[in-house]
Amino acid sequence: MSELLILAVSGAILTGVSCSLVGSFVVRMNLSSLGFAMSHAAFAGAALGLVLSLDPLGLAIVFSIGVALLLGPLAEKANLPTNVILGVIFSLMISLGLVFLNLIPQTAMSSVALSILWGSILGMTVTSVLRLLVLSVGIVLIYWLFFKEFQAIMFSRKLAEASGINTRPFYYLILFLTGITVAFSLKLVGGLLVFALMVNPASSAYQFSYDMKKITIVSPIIGVLCCISGIAISFLADLPVGSSIALVSSAIFGAAVVLSPKRKRG
Amino acid sequence: MCPLIELKTVSTVYEGAKVPSIKNITLRIQPGEFITIVGPNGAGKTTLLETINGLLPSEGVITVGDMNLKTDGTRIRKRIGYVPQEFICDSLTPFIVEDVVMMGRYGKIGLFKSPTRKDRYIVQEAMLFLSVDVLRRTPVGKLSGGQLQKVMIARALASEPEMLLLDEPFSNLDMKSRSELAEKLTTLNENGLTILMVIHDRSSIPPACRRIITMEQGKIVSDKHFKVMP
Repeated sequence: MSELLILAVSGAILTGVSCSLVGSFVVRMNLSSLGFAMSHAAFAGAALGLVLSLDPLGLAIVFSIGVALLLGPLAEKANLPTNVILGVIFSLMISLGLVFLNLIPQTAMSSVALSILWGSILGMTVTSVLRLLVLSVGIVLIYWLFFKEFQAIMFSRKLAEASGINTRPFYYLILFLTGITVAFSLKLVGGLLVFALMVNPASSAYQFSYDMKKITIVSPIIGVLCCISGIAISFLADLPVGSSIALVSSAIFGAAVVLSPKRKRG
Repeated sequence: MCPLIELKTVSTVYEGAKVPSIKNITLRIQPGEFITIVGPNGAGKTTLLETINGLLPSEGVITVGDMNLKTDGTRIRKRIGYVPQEFICDSLTPFIVEDVVMMGRYGKIGLFKSPTRKDRYIVQEAMLFLSVDVLRRTPVGKLSGGQLQKVMIARALASEPEMLLLDEPFSNLDMKSRSELAEKLTTLNENGLTILMVIHDRSSIPPACRRIITMEQGKIVSDKHFKVMP
């Protein structure tokens, strides 16, 4: 029991850090809709993995990043607004995910299958915690190395490009990190709600500062707080862990908006 | 004299559009020139500016010195300061004035390096020149349109460009600020900075301007040089 708890808490801390760090970029770059579609694509990919008895995580990553890479050319070819394409992709992915889950033989319709939908504390293994650790360290390292480039892109991608920064690799790096983060976080939070953990802590942090460095530090702290509190509520009230985390993060965001000094006049 | 920038039969078509926004533009810009582009809305003025620094894909050849925009776009943009038309920030934008002006130097500072004391000095000088140094700790989302315009110009100057591309730089300014900015642009030009400015109101053309290009329907319809502004 104690080992399970240690794995769950470690996984929660690392999921909170990685999701909210990537989220600070996703929110500022108005990529929320894209991330939302990516998280559901990851869910569909993981479900397909279970149907085909392949690695659910690998397919989750492929689906998630595939959506991000497909979006631009698709919107261009169809000559439609990006949000329309994202709406279609979102509904397509959630439908595919549910169809794939339905195709899993009943004997295999285990907690693993359900956990990719709702999230599960039981889903945390030593391997998944180690993966999250590598991911979190990688994200921190990438942010540290390219913080000024990310800052410029977050202010305005067009102006960053105009000042001589080649923004394309950084933009795709963020999409890639978002895809991996979503896929790695599926086990704990679940495909339906993983995106709440990206958007809510980062959006809450944005309510309190005009300093991107502070936001980048506060955002993962809120993310960890959401995850730990969500797990505690999940344990105590026997609720799905993903829902508990999403509820806590939404409550924190609501409080942040109300208390935000940035929104006070004068 | 070897031109600073040369455009040879350059056309730009926006995604999804059938007709090019600018068509077969051929233009030579010499170092130290102060050029104003005028024309009605939709004439292609902004498109031309964004084509020159490679923000829009184009056909034809654009060279800056001995570099071709198609192959050396990022290096070329480090040499050009660009101020967009009516840049808008939401009130929650998490950056202060000093950060935004410093961002103008990031391309020049390069990857894996932090701003040095020299970079900070140049940023401070750019803010002082545009009289926005008193706003250095102010969030950009709290600035008025005119203040933000000046900050964006300071940002472009912080990169120590060889050429400044200004898109409607007077649009958010009152008359006093317009004449102050015109004086500052004149000073910059006298110190050797090449300026290419887009405006739609001919009465705003600064006296230091010596060349006026008129555009209509994506084409240059006149290109006049003056010794003294008429």
